[in-house]
Amino acid sequence: MKKLAVILLAIVLTISFSSSVFAGGAPRGVFKKGIITEFNEQAGTILFSPNDAEEEITLTLDKSVKQDEITLGKRVIVSLDTKDHSLVLNVTRMFIDLNIKNMLFILFVGFVGGLVSGFIGSGGAFVLTPGMMSLGVPAAVAVASNMCHKFPKAMVGAYKRLKYGQVDLKLGLIMGVSAIAGVQIGIKVQEYIFNAWGDAGSNLYVSIAFVAILVTVGGYVFRDAMKIAKTGGEEKPSKLALAIQKINIPPMIQLKTANVRISVWFTVPVGFATGLMAATIAVGGFVGVPGMMYVIGASSLVASASELVVAFTMGFAGSIKWAMAGLIDIRLTLLILAASLFGVQLGALGTTYVKEHLIKVVMGSIMLIVAVSRGLAIPKYLADLGLISLQPSTANMLMKASFAVMAAALLIGAFIILKNMIRGMRMEKQGEVKIAAHHIK
Amino acid sequence: MKEKKKKPYVTAIIMGIISIVSYILIFNNQETVTDLTTKSGYFVALPIVAAFYFSFIHGAFASSMLSVLGIEAKKKK
Repeated sequence: MKKLAVILLAIVLTISFSSSVFAGGAPRGVFKKGIITEFNEQAGTILFSPNDAEEEITLTLDKSVKQDEITLGKRVIVSLDTKDHSLVLNVTRMFIDLNIKNMLFILFVGFVGGLVSGFIGSGGAFVLTPGMMSLGVPAAVAVASNMCHKFPKAMVGAYKRLKYGQVDLKLGLIMGVSAIAGVQIGIKVQEYIFNAWGDAGSNLYVSIAFVAILVTVGGYVFRDAMKIAKTGGEEKPSKLALAIQKINIPPMIQLKTANVRISVWFTVPVGFATGLMAATIAVGGFVGVPGMMYVIGASSLVASASELVVAFTMGFAGSIKWAMAGLIDIRLTLLILAASLFGVQLGALGTTYVKEHLIKVVMGSIMLIVAVSRGLAIPKYLADLGLISLQPSTANMLMKASFAVMAAALLIGAFIILKNMIRGMRMEKQGEVKIAAHHIK
Repeated sequence: MKEKKKKPYVTAIIMGIISIVSYILIFNNQETVTDLTTKSGYFVALPIVAAFYFSFIHGAFASSMLSVLGIEAKKKK
């Protein structure tokens, strides 16, 4: 087992150093990091000192760039036109000023995201990244900083759940390495779409993928959870998983904790699909966990725990790449970690107090609500592509509603977890008191 | 009756102090920290090392803090 772990980790490192493993989406378009040294208001140009070159360059500002976005002497990211690399479309401060209000916001989302991911194996990123962007963090920095908090959080969560005997390390590592391969393809698809249809086309593709996958998979998970709840809370492996386990194509692997013997030829595609989704919708776990449950045949407890190993592997590889691009705002990463390391451990221990199918209830609910959120964003992207007409105020309102629903998904998930966890803890305490009373008698 | 497990007060205090001091150092030197962690070359390792460091220190603090508060996993029967 140790040998396998070392080999797989070596593969992760090799792949991540040799290619693009921008899990969570690669930085889109053309952008440069650097400092604006001069601003010529009349000519509408800036003198820009890029990080990666000695010489300063003159860039022209697009009409859409507002004057108050230009800050001299501070590190900024300038987005350039894909065809004309001297035309600036957007200027964003690379490192936002942190005040108590935005720090508390990051800590709160970090805690709730940690709680949910400790419990269902993933989650949090879908609110954290847009949440940070709403504070003024550039998109690439938000994705990078979120990614860098993902692997330490997943590591702590996986360690906890390993102690509870819920993690199938072999399954997690095989899935993780296959997921990294999936990320490569996911990014290629994203790049192709971005080059063909630009930012709006890319956003539309992501939203449609989000809605289609979340409604189908999330709906199935939720229905299954309800069925189990009605029949007394006993989980059974799916018919598909049982059929797959019977197919004997070497190499076969024995997954001890998951209590499954299965061909690698079925395990790798599930991991691959997880990576593909991580690069597309930034939440691979929405495919990884159901895949492990319904295709491989692991219980929801083992699947959600092993997903943390997948998240660690992918997050680690992704963070190396983002660090190489110099886009991680470590302050944001560490702020999220300050709260999420509490949340993830609380979520992990919460799994020991609840019935197994509750993991499916939480996961299914979150997926379906997130699907609604992404659905609300689709009209704006359709309008951006010129396929429908939409008032700017309506588009703005829909985007705000989309974010609010997304935040609600995370909060509802956290509420279900905490409510059931507290109930489980109370019942446990009452049980202990009864046993103690019995001993005294 | 089973003996009650001792709560990890000492670990919580030590790890808590190390963690808080580390956070104060980072946030009091934001400019230097963001500058160093976004440089190229060997500096690329810095954000990864920092994330690992905090996951051990702050992770251990969070774990012992939860235990001190009496929030622990259900014991297997």
